Amino acid sequence: MRRPFVALAALSLAALAAGCATPPPASDPEALAEFHQNNDPLEPLNRASYQVDLAIDTLVLRPAAEAYGIFVPEPVRDRVRNVLDNLRMPVIFANDVLQGQPRRAGDSLARFAINSTVGVLGIFDAATDMGYPAHYSDFGQTLGRWGMEEGHFLWIPVIGPMNARDLAGFGVDIAMDPWGWFGQSNDPWVNAFRVARPTLVVLDTRQGLIDVLDDIRKNSVDPYATLRSAYRQRRQALINYELDTFARDPLGRAYGGN
Amino acid sequence: MLLRRPLLAAVFATAPALAFAQGGLQASAVSMVETAGRKMVDLINAPGASGEQKRQQAAALLRQYVDLNGVSRFVLGRYARGADTAALREFQSTFEEWIVRNLASRFGELAGVTFQVARTLPRDEGAVEVQTLVAQSGKQPAILGWRVENVGGAPKIVDLVAEGSSLRLTTRSEYSSFLGQNNGDLGKLTARLRQQLASLTEREGQLAAR
Repeated sequence: MRRPFVALAALSLAALAAGCATPPPASDPEALAEFHQNNDPLEPLNRASYQVDLAIDTLVLRPAAEAYGIFVPEPVRDRVRNVLDNLRMPVIFANDVLQGQPRRAGDSLARFAINSTVGVLGIFDAATDMGYPAHYSDFGQTLGRWGMEEGHFLWIPVIGPMNARDLAGFGVDIAMDPWGWFGQSNDPWVNAFRVARPTLVVLDTRQGLIDVLDDIRKNSVDPYATLRSAYRQRRQALINYELDTFARDPLGRAYGGN
Repeated sequence: MLLRRPLLAAVFATAPALAFAQGGLQASAVSMVETAGRKMVDLINAPGASGEQKRQQAAALLRQYVDLNGVSRFVLGRYARGADTAALREFQSTFEEWIVRNLASRFGELAGVTFQVARTLPRDEGAVEVQTLVAQSGKQPAILGWRVENVGGAPKIVDLVAEGSSLRLTTRSEYSSFLGQNNGDLGKLTARLRQQLASLTEREGQLAAR
């Protein structure tokens, strides 16, 4: 029983070794600096993973997302996104608290209370109009706020660009999501919910990225390098709270949402 | 709704950042981005303008406000140094054409846009990033940052930051990876940009013919 695991471990170690990039020689300090700056020692493996991802995406994900965009009208997709965002609110709230951000945590709590009731189970975003604008949080960001380094860059099929810190955060976010705690797994409604929610998250996210990713694939001379750089910058901006689509005046009132 | 308090927003957003003593650049950067942004939004929302007209006007605005020469050097990073002068000049002029045409074409596709200065952030080397909220009618606003630096005594836009990703940093990373795989051959990169320019011209021609 133990053999296959040993074989699997040996195989993945071999793949890892083969997938490791050789750092440039010390005689080329600029190339070496760039190697460290890219923070991607597994680049050959990641690039292979990117190719696999690209194939899966071209064959399955992109067509599915495109169909979702064509057959589901935009107002319905907006409502679906509202519901999905509201379902994520407990995780966002928990991360706001872990980040020691009472104002952001308050926004999240108010948003969940208002949108779940006045907003009819999250279908309508009434909270933004009432001065509680949306923001995003996750545990990878929390770890970043706590000062953890990003770790090596990773490309994971279906999920896409990642780093070690965000991958750990991704797991913790799933574990602390309360919707996974309730319900019997033999209940068909519970099962339907557990399949439908991640499916819709993937469809909604991929649909929203169609134009951006098409553009990068068409116009970049190295899409992998472009996406690696963009992902890392975006994550840093999120950690710095620079992606909020609202601002506050000196009295703490939010403006800029719609 | 979005445009209700742009001035107030600019003042509030600017005040705390001024404490970073970024000199007069802070104020001039905000007013420059406001002016450039207002002009861009006006032309995007202009009723009856054709896509071609919008693209041409957007290109003219970009040439006026963006430090194209600086950006086209920046994206080459370490490869700009030691590059053959003729090849470098060739690349720079091709890249400038490429970036202006691409951005103009993207702005030309928009309609019903609102725009507002949200906050300014002090950046390295005395630069400031003016963050604006840009929304297309009925959609959630997106954060678009404009990095402004003092270039030859006047504030110029040196970078565009979308969703936290800097256009010039991302492009530099992309080009450096490409050049690393092609023995630093700048001519190959220029040739690739030319190809893309040709296919962009073709696409715009098809759009106009429709």
